[in-house]
Amino acid sequence: MNLSKEKVNNILVLSIEEREANLSKADHFKQLVSEEIDKGERKLIISFKNVEYLDSSFLGALVGILKHLIPLNGQLILTDLNGDIENLFALTRLNKIFNLKQDLKTAMLDL
Amino acid sequence: MKEPSSLPIAKKIPARADEILDYVQYVLHTVEEQVALSLEAKRNIKLILVELVTNSIKHSKDDEASIQVIINHPTLTIQKVDKGLQIQFASNSHQIPFVDVNKTIQVSFSEKKKQHIKVLDRYEFEFVDAFKEGISLEEMPEHFGLYIITLASNRFVYQHDPTSMENRFIVNLNLDE
Repeated sequence: MNLSKEKVNNILVLSIEEREANLSKADHFKQLVSEEIDKGERKLIISFKNVEYLDSSFLGALVGILKHLIPLNGQLILTDLNGDIENLFALTRLNKIFNLKQDLKTAMLDL
Repeated sequence: MKEPSSLPIAKKIPARADEILDYVQYVLHTVEEQVALSLEAKRNIKLILVELVTNSIKHSKDDEASIQVIINHPTLTIQKVDKGLQIQFASNSHQIPFVDVNKTIQVSFSEKKKQHIKVLDRYEFEFVDAFKEGISLEEMPEHFGLYIITLASNRFVYQHDPTSMENRFIVNLNLDE
């Protein structure tokens, strides 16, 4: 699972450097992000700029991360979703639960 | 009226998750050679194929599992067919063969979370969307992939044939919608 990270002020920006966000990567992704939360990160942006599709396993990992962050008063924003991924969030109505933003710039303004 | 046509899907269901995208694009291309698809239909077909193949990689022990596509305009049917035991629910759930037919019931696969299904026959049921008003993080069904297929399709049915031990996940989409 290739995940690049960059700290901008108190915001951790994680970019998924994979074309496919699927079951073979979901557990590792959840573990990597959870480690960052355990280290004290509370404001996270995850960019899907390079991701072509995500499956239910990866969606489950994102839900797990959000569940981890909420009791800690953390914030999570997902950015740069392509049309297919946006459609998945809309279809499952998870767009009402996750904070989705068009790009990094817009996400930064929200944190 | 045109006869239903079954599309030849020459590629086998991939055994590895990293081959899913190429497989989905291949099947979608095969469908598009036969019928024009709206952007919405295309997106939903992709979601359905991703989750059917993922389900196969996770749960099917049959190397000969296959995806079949049938066009009977305006209905597009995508089926995943494999051989093996029927879907097993948790021990506190109703089981196949069902006793009460034509009822909507809740079953669980392995945890407490419930999946809503409508029993159509002793060996057949339809997945039902029980979260029309939106879903909370706590309510998410454990087999979220099957739920995604339910939402992306017009009808999603599971059938088991106890004689041939064949399982069919049958997904219908109305291309005119």
